[in-house]
Amino acid sequence: MAGGRELSDTIAFIRKLDRARSPDDVCAMLLEITRRFGVERVLAGLIPMPGADRRTQLSHVVMSAWPEEWSRRYFSHDYLFRDPTIEQVQKAATPFLWSELEPAYRSDFAARRIMEEASEFKLKEGYTIPLVTIEGDVAGFSLAGERLEMSPEERSMLVLVATYALGRALPLRKIPQVPAADLTLREREALQWVAEGLSDCDISEKMGISEHGVDKHMRAARSKLGTVTRAHAVAEALRRNLIR
Amino acid sequence: MIHIVTPENAHLYKDEMEQAYRLRHRVFVDEMKWTDLAKPDGREIDQFDDEHAVHMLYIDDGRKVLGYQRMLPSTRPHLLSDVLPQLCEDERPAGPHIWEWTRYCVEPAHRERGRALSPVANALLSGIVEWGLESGVNTIIIEMNPLWLLRLVQLHFRTAPLGLPQPVGGQDTVAVTAAFDRRTLVRLQEMRGNCQRVLVQPANTMPLYLAS
Repeated sequence: MAGGRELSDTIAFIRKLDRARSPDDVCAMLLEITRRFGVERVLAGLIPMPGADRRTQLSHVVMSAWPEEWSRRYFSHDYLFRDPTIEQVQKAATPFLWSELEPAYRSDFAARRIMEEASEFKLKEGYTIPLVTIEGDVAGFSLAGERLEMSPEERSMLVLVATYALGRALPLRKIPQVPAADLTLREREALQWVAEGLSDCDISEKMGISEHGVDKHMRAARSKLGTVTRAHAVAEALRRNLIR
Repeated sequence: MIHIVTPENAHLYKDEMEQAYRLRHRVFVDEMKWTDLAKPDGREIDQFDDEHAVHMLYIDDGRKVLGYQRMLPSTRPHLLSDVLPQLCEDERPAGPHIWEWTRYCVEPAHRERGRALSPVANALLSGIVEWGLESGVNTIIIEMNPLWLLRLVQLHFRTAPLGLPQPVGGQDTVAVTAAFDRRTLVRLQEMRGNCQRVLVQPANTMPLYLAS
C-alpha cells in the first residue's frame, strides 16, 4: 500500500530540510510546499512570559515571513498578549483556523481590532498550530494568506510539516548577540578618561564640558554597553576594544 | 533506575509488575479514558503482554513503580500491525532491529509541569536508548500525539512519519519510526546533567534473542 501525496510530500520536505542553513531557508522551503493551499505568510515563535518587553517578544520569533509593517505595528502596539490566536495557543494543544476563533473574540474589542488590522495586511485567513518544545516552551506556528484552502488530510500534513520546520529552525537560530554598542566619539573619550582614573571634574576640564555633560555621556555609554555601573562599563568597553 | 523485566527474571519482579499493571490502568483507563482496556481487577493487561514483551520499569528506592513502558518486537504481532494498521500508509517497518514502544506512562506527581523532561521521563527514554545500543536495536515504532514529535526531534531521534495524524479514540495520533544512536544518548544525558547508566540490568544478561 503506497502512501498518499500528502505523506510523500511531507517526507520529501523533511529530507529537504537537512539542506537548510538558516531559519530563513526553512521559511522559504515551507512557503514552497504550502503555497498550493494559499499560504503566503509564515510566523513561528515561542510564546514569551506575560508582560515580557518588546525586545524579549522579538527575540522569541524563530522564523518570520510576516508583513514587515504589520510586525512593526504589532510589536510596538504590544498586541501579542491581546491576540486571540496567541491566547488560544496557550489554552489548547490542538491546531485551529482563525475563523474558528471568531465567535469567541467577537465581543472582545481589542482582539477583534487586531484580527481586522491583520486582514488589512493580507492576513485574512490563517491556520495556527500549537507546539511544545523539549524545554517546555509553548510555540505558535501560523500560516496565513488571503484565502486558505485545505482538506482535513492537508491540515494533518501541515501539522507534521510545521513540527519538522520548527525542529530544524530552532537550532539554526542565531543566539541573539549583545546589542552592538554604537558609542559616539565623545562617549568613548569620556570612558577612556574614566579608565585612566580621572575624576568627573578633571574629565570635564579635559573635554571642555560641564560635569553634568560628563555624567550624561557616561550614562549613555553605560546603557549602550548594557551595563549598570561605571566599572562594568569600562570593563566591557575594554573587552570590546572600544577604549585602551 | 530502570529495571528490564522479561520471562527470565519476571519471578524477581512479581510485586513491581503488579504495580506496573495498576499504573497502566490508572493512566490509560481512568485518566485517558481508553475504556476498551478497562479491567474489573484494575490491572491493564492486553494480548501483547506475552513472553516476547520487554517491560521497562522505573523503580524508586522504596520499590515503588513511578514509570513504565513496554517494548514489542516488530517481527511479531504488535499494535501497529494488529490494532492500528490504518496509521501506517506505507510498507510497515519490521525487523529484529525495530521494536515498538507502547504504554509509556508516568505517575502524575513525577511528570513534567510545563518544564523540560521530568527525571522519570528522561530515565525511561534513556533506558530505551541504552537498551537499544546494547542489544542491536536502533529504531522504535511509536504511535503518539503529534505534539510529542517536536520533542523527539529535539532529542536527536531521527523520526519519519508512517502516515498522517488521524483521530484514534478522540485523540490525534501519528505513527512514526524513530532511529537513535549515541548522539541521542548524549543529548538525554546533557538534559539530565549526568552520564550515569539508567539501566540496572547489566548488558551481558540481556536475553539472547535480542542479540541477533
